[in-house]
Amino acid sequence: MDFIDLKKQQKNIRHSLDIRIKKVLDDGRYIGGEEIKLFEEKLSVFCGSKHSIGCSNGTDALMLALMALDIGPGDGVITVPFTYIATLEAIAAVGATPVLVDVYDSTFNMNPDHIEKAINESDKTIKAIMPVDLFGLPARYRVINDIAEKYNLKIIGDAAQSFGAKKGKKKVGTFADISTTSFFPAKPLGCYGDGGAVFTDSDDYAKTLRSLAVHGKGSDKYDNIRVGMNSRLDTLQAAILLEKISIFKDEIIMRNKIANLYKEKMSHLPIRFQTIPKDYQSVYAQFSIVFDNQMIRDKIQNELKKNNIPSVIYYPISGHLQGGYSYLNYKKGDFPISEDLGCRILSLPMHPYLEEKDINKIVGAVENIIVASS
Amino acid sequence: MNIPFADIKKQYESIKEEIHDSINEVLDNTAFVRGKYVDRFEKNFSEMYGVKNCIGVGNGTDAIYLALKALDIGAGDEVITVCNSWISTSEVISQTGAKVKFVDIEEDNYNIDVNKVEAAITKNTRAIIPVHLYGQPVKDLDRLINIAKQHSLYVIEDCAQAVFCKYKNQHVGTFGDIATISFYPGKNLGAFGDAGAVISNSNELAKKIRMLANHGQSVKHTHIYEGINSRMDGIQGNILNTKLNYILDWTARRQEIAQRYSSKLKNIKGLKIPKIDSNASHVFHLYVILAEERDNLKQYLQDNNIGTALHYPNLLPLLDCYKSLNHIASDFPVGSRNAKMILSLPMFPELTNEEVDHVCEKIKGFYS
Repeated sequence: MDFIDLKKQQKNIRHSLDIRIKKVLDDGRYIGGEEIKLFEEKLSVFCGSKHSIGCSNGTDALMLALMALDIGPGDGVITVPFTYIATLEAIAAVGATPVLVDVYDSTFNMNPDHIEKAINESDKTIKAIMPVDLFGLPARYRVINDIAEKYNLKIIGDAAQSFGAKKGKKKVGTFADISTTSFFPAKPLGCYGDGGAVFTDSDDYAKTLRSLAVHGKGSDKYDNIRVGMNSRLDTLQAAILLEKISIFKDEIIMRNKIANLYKEKMSHLPIRFQTIPKDYQSVYAQFSIVFDNQMIRDKIQNELKKNNIPSVIYYPISGHLQGGYSYLNYKKGDFPISEDLGCRILSLPMHPYLEEKDINKIVGAVENIIVASS
Repeated sequence: MNIPFADIKKQYESIKEEIHDSINEVLDNTAFVRGKYVDRFEKNFSEMYGVKNCIGVGNGTDAIYLALKALDIGAGDEVITVCNSWISTSEVISQTGAKVKFVDIEEDNYNIDVNKVEAAITKNTRAIIPVHLYGQPVKDLDRLINIAKQHSLYVIEDCAQAVFCKYKNQHVGTFGDIATISFYPGKNLGAFGDAGAVISNSNELAKKIRMLANHGQSVKHTHIYEGINSRMDGIQGNILNTKLNYILDWTARRQEIAQRYSSKLKNIKGLKIPKIDSNASHVFHLYVILAEERDNLKQYLQDNNIGTALHYPNLLPLLDCYKSLNHIASDFPVGSRNAKMILSLPMFPELTNEEVDHVCEKIKGFYS
């Protein structure tokens, strides 16, 4: 059993993928070109964002967004410690400082109640809030937006895991001033290498983002009007994504069905799931469960391993406790919910092609250990 | 006759089946980000190049950024580089928060003027980034390395255009502390998308660069550095591995083409052919002439269906993004003069002798 099985999906679309790849090879255009334009258009149609801009990966996408908003040394960006390191890393990479607030115990996403205090107590000039849509569930943008308006801050939505998710009819990519995503292979919409995208409704930001991603170019390639970077989605990857986005809507439904099956089959167990609030639809980049304590979590992970069932802890060490970020001077206990989740959480195999018999096997293994331990 | 400046399709056509196989192998095994195909390429490249470590990364720009970060270069530091490179070289210096110090180029070799380097060194200087532009080594590389040693400065060799080029019979990129390579599709060794590499004989630096390029991660979920995301794709790694079998032949063909150009263009008044130093090889990523009436010549060649390009039309220190440095053209007399005269002629291994001769005839015609 695979944690994320990319081969089953590939089997269904391999023929069309081969045709797409061959076309790029034959066209002899490996950077930019028709596929990039077409895929960016598809992204915009899919999520309703006016502009979609491909880039190298989800981390670069965040850096580009920060740079487009002119955020750098001396500035602070509010974000969460319970996330993949890329969130903090991008803020640090542009010279700004991550200013952290804890998450909700229920949704695992940013708890807006802590934001104002963090703004008022920080010695940095807070310029933006960067909520993370953890495991595919959009953060609470409406509330965060009210705070952003009050303090005149921008919002960058880290939607690395949540492209395709929605609240009501509104889709990820349209909740923030600039939203970013990742097409890392294991993501719900993943390519066959590193890739990412940035979304915005603002023509100005879009223009700046496009310039920043190609070495800060101005009117032409050799006229560099700002310090930029090299961050482009490969044409081959765009071609692969064109094929994948055509089945993505169906796959989101399949992911939700699988999540519901998991929940149904585990409803009697002393565990809890990520709360999906009313009106929200997650894309279930991960299906995570929270146990009573770390001991039982670790025990279950070991047992699953013995049964050849892969599982992963996202994220065992919160951002504020990572060695590379010790200079931020946070200490253990500063973000109790994030730290606690890191001790008790476990992500189970999740992909659209997971079969019911595998779910039964996984649930059975989890149940056996819980029963044996109680 | 229609002769493009570059044509990467011809090379693809010549090894089409192998490229397809390389891609299919990666798809079949779903090893998409780094993975075993990138590992294999790194190993084969290191062995062939004669360097202890090769780290596949996202692109040539990231490669230089990673090199700087590995040396802890950032705000308050200065880095010396050359005025006529591609923007990547200097933009990454700014990205780390350090300050760029530009130096003019040599009369004959288009690369950093080693005589002018010492004057640019201050108490804040931490590193020098020489660029082996067009595929030719810096003229007095030994002396540059010595100057760096005397002043305790690091040397990062920017080999984006000079892969497999030699200085005193040793590959460039193995003289400094770290070197960087670009596998942009149009490069001598080109991927089918963005890719790059960092090479170093220092195991310690290589280890750090590997971590920095993968989110500063030592083991999964433990991030001991603030890093970035810059990893070579499996597809690109496997394509490059296949192309390694051909790179020496392709390089030799580039050199043959260059020689043919030079022999036919050497006595034209108003035109200077590239000079190859006696102690160096030139891998001719670009064949660049210095031409009087350059713009007219470029137009004339274009009217005759011959593609040319400029590398690079705008001197880096004079670009808008470096306005704050307050440079004027006369700060870099050689670079500024060359920017108005350089012209890159068609250059790719699949160019035929007839095509080269045709370009030369047209150029002769223009000046006669």
